[in-house]
Amino acid sequence: MTRQIRILTGVILACYLAVFVKLNQIQVLEASDYNDRPENTRALVRDFNRPRGDIVTADGVVAATSESRRADLRYRRIYPEGELYAHITGYYSFRFGSTGVEREYNAQLAGRTASLQLRDLSGFFSDPSTEGDVILTVDSRVQTVARDALGGLTGSVVALDPRTGGVLAMYSNPTYDPNPVSDNDGERAQAVKTFLDAAPEKPLLSRAYQDRFFPGSTFKIVTATAGLESGVVDEQRPVFETVRTYTPPLTRRGLSNFDGASCGGTLFVILQRSCNTSFAEMAAEMLGPGPMIAAAEAAGFNDVPPIDLTRPVRSVYPTDFGAVLEEPADAAPVHENTPALAQTAIGQNDVAATPLQMALVAAGVANEGRIMVPHVMAEVRARDGDVVERFDVRPWKEAMSAATADVLRRAMISVVTDGTASSLQLPGATVGAKTGTAQLGTTPPRSHAWMIAFAGPEGGEPTVAVAVMVQNVEGDTGQTGGRVAGPIARRVLEAALALP
Amino acid sequence: MTVTAGERRVDEPAVPVPGRRRRTTELGLLVLAALVICGAYALASLGRSASLPADIVPFLGVILALLIGAHIANRRLVPAADPLLLPLAALLNGIGYVFIARINGDLAGLQASWTAVSIVGYVATLIVVRDVRALQRYRYTFGLIGVVLLVMPLLPVIGREYFGSRIWVSIGPVNFQPGEFAKIALALFLAGYLTERRELLGIATFRLGPFNTPDPKHFSPVLLAVGFSLVVMVFERDLGSALLFFLLFTVMLWVATGRGSYVAVGALLFGGASYFAWSQFSHVQDRVSIWLDPWSDPGGAGYQVIQAAYALAWGGTTGTGPGLGRAVRIPADESDFIFAVIGEELGLLGATAVLCAFLLLAGSGLRIARTSGDGFTALLTVGLTTLIAFQAFIIIAGVIRLLPLTGVTLPFVSYGGSSLVANYVLLALLVRASDQSARRVAEPVVAR
Repeated sequence: MTRQIRILTGVILACYLAVFVKLNQIQVLEASDYNDRPENTRALVRDFNRPRGDIVTADGVVAATSESRRADLRYRRIYPEGELYAHITGYYSFRFGSTGVEREYNAQLAGRTASLQLRDLSGFFSDPSTEGDVILTVDSRVQTVARDALGGLTGSVVALDPRTGGVLAMYSNPTYDPNPVSDNDGERAQAVKTFLDAAPEKPLLSRAYQDRFFPGSTFKIVTATAGLESGVVDEQRPVFETVRTYTPPLTRRGLSNFDGASCGGTLFVILQRSCNTSFAEMAAEMLGPGPMIAAAEAAGFNDVPPIDLTRPVRSVYPTDFGAVLEEPADAAPVHENTPALAQTAIGQNDVAATPLQMALVAAGVANEGRIMVPHVMAEVRARDGDVVERFDVRPWKEAMSAATADVLRRAMISVVTDGTASSLQLPGATVGAKTGTAQLGTTPPRSHAWMIAFAGPEGGEPTVAVAVMVQNVEGDTGQTGGRVAGPIARRVLEAALALP
Repeated sequence: MTVTAGERRVDEPAVPVPGRRRRTTELGLLVLAALVICGAYALASLGRSASLPADIVPFLGVILALLIGAHIANRRLVPAADPLLLPLAALLNGIGYVFIARINGDLAGLQASWTAVSIVGYVATLIVVRDVRALQRYRYTFGLIGVVLLVMPLLPVIGREYFGSRIWVSIGPVNFQPGEFAKIALALFLAGYLTERRELLGIATFRLGPFNTPDPKHFSPVLLAVGFSLVVMVFERDLGSALLFFLLFTVMLWVATGRGSYVAVGALLFGGASYFAWSQFSHVQDRVSIWLDPWSDPGGAGYQVIQAAYALAWGGTTGTGPGLGRAVRIPADESDFIFAVIGEELGLLGATAVLCAFLLLAGSGLRIARTSGDGFTALLTVGLTTLIAFQAFIIIAGVIRLLPLTGVTLPFVSYGGSSLVANYVLLALLVRASDQSARRVAEPVVAR
């Protein structure tokens, strides 16, 4: 029997060895795979039982903080300002996960980045709180003005520093209060979330960076960029014919100016008066699809902006205008869809942009043609106030040459001094702007009212770029954009210029 | 009933035996186990409520009292026995208690009472069974007892079904799982029967087709008993116990005869039975498909094993610390799945320590078998060791998805009175056998 017992010993040993190997596989080799599975709530439970850093505006207003309490989950998230920063901070929910800064900077807020953890080497022996505070570029004074100026209107305001890409204000209406969604009581949070999901006006969606709209005449800045960059347009020539309508090749449907007006002239004049006919002709007959697509994509269209928030959408500019039908020697090639190209030149047809994208267009003009990576995080601080991480300010797109930017900057300033954006004339400041009224083709007439602008101290470099979009307003005259969006942009620019 | 081996009284040492030193070792190990258990108990309380348990001093006192009680019994009744067995069982039992208390405080009180009953059962077994060899005489009685115990849950009125398995018996206020005791009775029966027939079973005289096999008439009672147990367990839907019995039967038959063909036939039979069970019973098919892909139904059938894997992975190498894991949401976490809780809170290190404890138990058991000197004791200790080693393996392998999950308890660790008492009785038989083996080695002249 001795032999059998020896073999049996070996068999039992082998069985337990197999268990040991499998345990190593689960607990060591594949542990992180298991920990990261979406239905595994352990990491969430740990995070809800630990202190979490605050989210604070540039001027020190707490936008999100954690409150400790005696319950299963020891911390719950509080947003003292309610809905004001909802689309920036996002929510932090045990039930639904997180969005916005809460999600993008979760590791920093939870204190799990190496730079936060290695600060305190005693952490090898104890469990010190390593959570970090996220300091935003957003300033409460500009943000509050953006909210108040928008009032009850549906739309969005984006203001940013063109030199850095740092967002100063970003507000979208309607919005929501992140507090109840972040309730640790799953049932209550679910009820609120179900309601918000079902609401037809989609309050959870930020109109600033998660939804697209016709940019209307604000897109003429991009068309003008294409003209200047390709060399067929400069300050003096051509002088566009003053006409009521323009009919592109291959169609009999003419494009008219706002209110049936006659419009034409040099680049500055057609920008000041927002001549549809001139820009449509420029794109359809002088530029063709190539330079238009190049200018739109150089400005960031067809690319998701790398903003540090959840699920930003790209703005779109069509890239296919059909086959070449004709190549005249003295004009742009004629494509099957050249009539559509003419419409895109004035921000209609298949062009759609987020307010963030249009703010970046203005910022590019203001910053010598260079669009910086948009962001809301300025820096991360440890609890003792030491800065452990700073946002790496860097360019995103080269929208245009510095020379083109200089021309467009002066052109946009002339739109304020002599054109449709006169409501933005601010004493002591240099302001450039472009209005937009994106007609929705409905009866009674409705449109999206737009204003994009930049401003700086008189004669100095622009320090703020802004885009205001008010959705689906009554009327579609040439004044609609300036009338509705202008006063909002003015108040936001004033607030931003007043910053120290 | 006091069973003695006839002319010689075993409880009276004839010559010096290595008893004194072994008992001192045992005492040291028991104190160590008590300290480990108390430490884990205190840590689990600190982990959950950041305060030391109020009852830590009485807790330590009760543990020491129980263990010292068993130790004194060992000194008086089995002075030469292996000093590892009792401390290992105590350690596993204590760790199990700490985790049961951490999962469900109400169950902890019951488990404490069952531990006391188990120690009494352990001592009683040592008192009653003065010589393991004498048990051989009652082999058929044990066979009958085993069969009756197995059938009990299927009887009307007293049989009870919980969680899809009909393995409970309820008589008056007492609920128990007779299967836990049946396995010991059947090991006793098999050891006795196979010792008697091992010569005959080892010789192949009967031709069955192309094979030479032992005469079926020697073979049939064993097959009958085991076949009967398996049928009963299929009806009781207790797959883990069925697997355990198959292993017990095959291992004991093979160890007794040394014929590898028994293992082959056993494997073949088991394969056939498994296929039959798989094709006939939907709950068997469910077990297999969950084993292959638990993520096909993560919220339902696969929930337990997936949560067990999450628990173990979260524990990592060193664990979350007692009281700080989240595995308490797994159904049956205090019984079948307690290993997942231990793995989460004590990590790979703690889980490996539990594995090592079982391995050491198995090693001690097999060492007793090798040195016992008589066929019955050797075979019985092999059987009992097989029961503990493979029961632990079957449930741990199921929890970590090395094998399909078949619900059995983790010996000494899981919550459950029947399981605990039965395993302490089993341990007492091993300890008694160990004492006898040691005396035999110490008395070479007498023994030969």
